[in-house]
Amino acid sequence: MRGDSTLISPPDTRNRHGLLWRLAWQQSRSGLKQPQWRALLLALLVAITLATLLALLGNRMEQSLQRQTADILGADLVIRNSRPLPAEYRQQAGQLGLQSSEVIQFNSMLSFEDQLLLSSLKVVTPPYPLRGEIVTRSDNNHDLPQAGQIWVDTAILERLRAQPGDLIQVGYLELQISAVMQSSPDRGSGFGSFSPQALISAADLEASGLLGPGARVRYRQLYAGEQDTLQQFEQWLKPRLQSGERLISLQSQQNFSGGALNNAASYLRLGALLALLLCALTITLSLRRYTRSSSQRAALLLSLGLTPQQLVQLYLCQLLIAGLICALPGTLLAMAAEQLALGMLADLLPQPVPAASLWLYGSGALLGLMILLTLGLAPILSISRVSVSRLFSQQDNATPLTGRSLQLLALAALLGLLLFYLGDIRLSLLLLSGLIISSVLLAFSGSWLVQQLSRRLAARLPLGRLLQLRMQQQRRWHRLQIPAMSLLLAIAAIALVSRNDLIDRWQQQLPAQTPDHFVVNIQSWEQQPLAAFLQARQVDSRLYPMVRGRIGALNGVTAADAFNPQQRKHNALNRELNLTWGAQLSDHNRIREGKWHGAEAKGEISVETEMAQQLGLKLGDQVSFNIAGQTVTATLSSIRDVDWQSFRPSFYVIFSPGALDQLPVSYITSFSTPPQQQTLAADLIAQFPTLTLIDIRQLLDQARELVSHLVDASGLVMGLTLAAGLLLLFTSLTQELEQRRYENALIQVLGATPKQARQLDLMEFALLGMVCGLMAAVLAELALWPLYGQLIRIEPELHPALWVMLPLLATALFLLIGLTGRRALDQRHCYRLLRAG
Amino acid sequence: MVSANDVVKRFTTQAGELDLFQQISLQIRRGESVAITGPSGAGKSTLLSLLAGLDLPSGGAVELIGYDTRQLDDSARANLRSRHISFVFQSFHLLPELSALENVRLPLEIRGNPSADNDAVRWLQQVGLGDRISHRPAELSGGEQQRVALARAFATTPDILFADEPTGNLDESTGSGIVEQLFRFNREQNTTLILITHDHELAARCDRCLHLHQGNLEERR
Ligand SMILES: Nc1ncnc2c1ncn2[C@@H]1O[C@H](COP(=O)(O)OP(=O)(O)OP(=O)(O)O)[C@@H](O)[C@H]1O
Ligand SMILES: [Mg+2]
Repeated sequence: MRGDSTLISPPDTRNRHGLLWRLAWQQSRSGLKQPQWRALLLALLVAITLATLLALLGNRMEQSLQRQTADILGADLVIRNSRPLPAEYRQQAGQLGLQSSEVIQFNSMLSFEDQLLLSSLKVVTPPYPLRGEIVTRSDNNHDLPQAGQIWVDTAILERLRAQPGDLIQVGYLELQISAVMQSSPDRGSGFGSFSPQALISAADLEASGLLGPGARVRYRQLYAGEQDTLQQFEQWLKPRLQSGERLISLQSQQNFSGGALNNAASYLRLGALLALLLCALTITLSLRRYTRSSSQRAALLLSLGLTPQQLVQLYLCQLLIAGLICALPGTLLAMAAEQLALGMLADLLPQPVPAASLWLYGSGALLGLMILLTLGLAPILSISRVSVSRLFSQQDNATPLTGRSLQLLALAALLGLLLFYLGDIRLSLLLLSGLIISSVLLAFSGSWLVQQLSRRLAARLPLGRLLQLRMQQQRRWHRLQIPAMSLLLAIAAIALVSRNDLIDRWQQQLPAQTPDHFVVNIQSWEQQPLAAFLQARQVDSRLYPMVRGRIGALNGVTAADAFNPQQRKHNALNRELNLTWGAQLSDHNRIREGKWHGAEAKGEISVETEMAQQLGLKLGDQVSFNIAGQTVTATLSSIRDVDWQSFRPSFYVIFSPGALDQLPVSYITSFSTPPQQQTLAADLIAQFPTLTLIDIRQLLDQARELVSHLVDASGLVMGLTLAAGLLLLFTSLTQELEQRRYENALIQVLGATPKQARQLDLMEFALLGMVCGLMAAVLAELALWPLYGQLIRIEPELHPALWVMLPLLATALFLLIGLTGRRALDQRHCYRLLRAG
Repeated sequence: MVSANDVVKRFTTQAGELDLFQQISLQIRRGESVAITGPSGAGKSTLLSLLAGLDLPSGGAVELIGYDTRQLDDSARANLRSRHISFVFQSFHLLPELSALENVRLPLEIRGNPSADNDAVRWLQQVGLGDRISHRPAELSGGEQQRVALARAFATTPDILFADEPTGNLDESTGSGIVEQLFRFNREQNTTLILITHDHELAARCDRCLHLHQGNLEERR
């Protein structure tokens, strides 16, 4: 006996590859008659289109929004300190090819005739600003104020009642107003950024004598340039930063726009991920179906002498062909949709929109191909193991092909894909295990629910018995179909709900009543008259008392010993904090730990969460403050989250009432100008000339504009995800209908009317729709919690409307698809179908 | 050519273990025509898969063209099939999107045969379908389809031809035409023919007739 298998040399392999490709091509062409192959191609096309589009759009939008943030910042990167910054930084930046500029900002009194106004002066040197532009009221031929000139905000002109060309007093200098600024970037940070601003030339700085000792001056260096170079510079800079120096980059900017930008970018990523998951799901299902329906054919090819490896190659070739077929139209479609989207956003995005990097155009096709091949590997391997003996039996008794190991392989492939896309192993694992667990749970609870319902309905509906039979017979498919459909619906629901919540969140931050003015420096004796003034004009506002102080000791240990070096750099120990007291908690504050001190408690404080974390403060700590030469000690009784983006006075530390009564106090308030009282600010200044009024309307407008961009952009993403979801739902369900044709033929031959067969299909669909909708609502709700917490970073909440709407909508949708997608069977057709088996 | 030694096949099903054969042994020589008969469910098709190396015995050994089937890996068995074995099935199994010619050419191409086209046409003429070479299976009758399947099986001039009820789906006269072709091929090419049939007349025309009954194989003459 010849036992050595190596003696059987493979036959001549010269033309083999050509053969495989040709067979693959024929298969992909003839597959077009099969709904599962069509569904696969469609899902792939959608995946490539969406992936390309979202990559392109995401990239370009992120770039534009960053540029917009840069416009507000006046630069791509800012370093700031309260002491002069080393020139070394700018030298290095210059060597790297970055642009840079320097700004000195401080508060100063401006006067014109008998009017006085505290304003924020900026000393600038060209080039300035590096990003964005200063919009002046009339054209002027200089880029920046020359020596002897001053540029002022509109607010300054109004309050000083001055005209362009007037000479105003700044320190020892008289400067001529040479331009009026309607808007300008680089407003700085803190209250200075809200004050009316003026620009002067560096040449005038010394002569003005304004930078005397004790002046609170902020120094800034602005940088702009290519992103890579900036990153390089940041790398170089970070270890060299000295204490007090802060780096502000576009990403790190945690003001309103920074926050909104970040969660919008997250939403875009989420949308892309959801859409891809949708497609991957459809591809997986279609592939499973396709390979199942091809098992007979695979067995035949094996019987004709193809080796299992060649069979694997053949099907890989076929997938590759599918990928190539979809790549070009998918990419072109994406580019067309991109143009459309950019057209829609044209007047919102700064023009020209920055170009996307070239490789992003191919990224969708690449990703689509990767999805296809990784998801396809397991079913293809399983089909290569098909037994040729099945050809001996008469019917095509499709046995389940996938073994344990192959399912594991499929999971590993999916994990790899997620990892590639998300670049985070923990997140990928979390998502994958979430998907698996929910699929298994959905499969069993869903099919159980369907069985139960059909059993209940059996006696009550005219076709109930048949329906129950149908449900039992389709159990296996339902177990696969229900999780897939539920996931699909859940993903669509997530896209929809999270966008709504995101918009709510943005708009909550900027309600119509958002304060547009701050009033500071209110002295005790002005408190009552001012409150009366505002009340008389029906302006809602609350006056917060304010004293300045710093932390001196913790639990009796001096600050120098109580805190580590890192903590000692914290503002609370170095700068004077604004402290307040009160019995009432404003609604932009929320207690996280402990209990709000209220009106009764004595000697207690509430501390903001982040500060408590950074300084390691715990409930019950005794914190001593140095305030105007006195020491005040209080017990920490609550820790608070503060919404810093609420445009309301916010405080790190709030004392219980009475603790600071004896100290020199001033008040602060904010209010929103009622639409019919545009002169309110001017009236207020006229009546209370010593108060400092800060106008932030311009800032608010910028923020509102940003929000509207984000709403539009996220709507586009959501619309695309939903459209993809619908498309895939439709193709999956029509596949289901095709599968029902054989069975329908049978029951029609056995005596049911076509109408009854149709009713049966529709009832099954309605039942499936309801169950899937219900499951999807549960799933979406469960998924939204971690998503909000981890990714979009907004507060999770329940969505009761979803629980009702989703099952109803899904039922209606499934019915609709059943109605439109179903083709009637005539008797002749029935016979043909049955004979073909 | 083909021999079985104490072959046992065991299926593990949900209902429990199912032992199909009680240590079957047989010897088939080159050029022989052998019929396997037996009641439905006796295991005829299973035996055929074992003999053709499509499946492996649970006990005992099958020797196919000098090789112990258990010692061959998947691709070696595939190559063995490609070079030495052909099949004819009850339900034809043609690829629907290929023409008759392309269907017949397929196994030749898998073997890497450079003159595939000529050979395929020749074999189609041989089975009497010279004028139908560009028709698709759907455009052919059942008998014609089975003749295409025959041409496909003959085209590689195999050493062994396995046929599982090749006439099962055809009427009598069409079936006998197919049978004639099979025996002619068996004679002319000296190919071993192993066929499963319920047709006693057909079985009687074979050199040998093996009857499978309750796990035992008996030679009938
Ligand atoms: N993969 C399998 N798993 C479990 N049982 C099997 C398997 N294949 C075959 N059987 C069982 O083995 C027995 C023999 O099957 P086989 O198809 O060989 O019968 P047969 O003699 O060819 O019948 P027929 O004349 O109807 O074609 C049957 O009872 C069948 O149920
Ligand atoms: Mg059989």
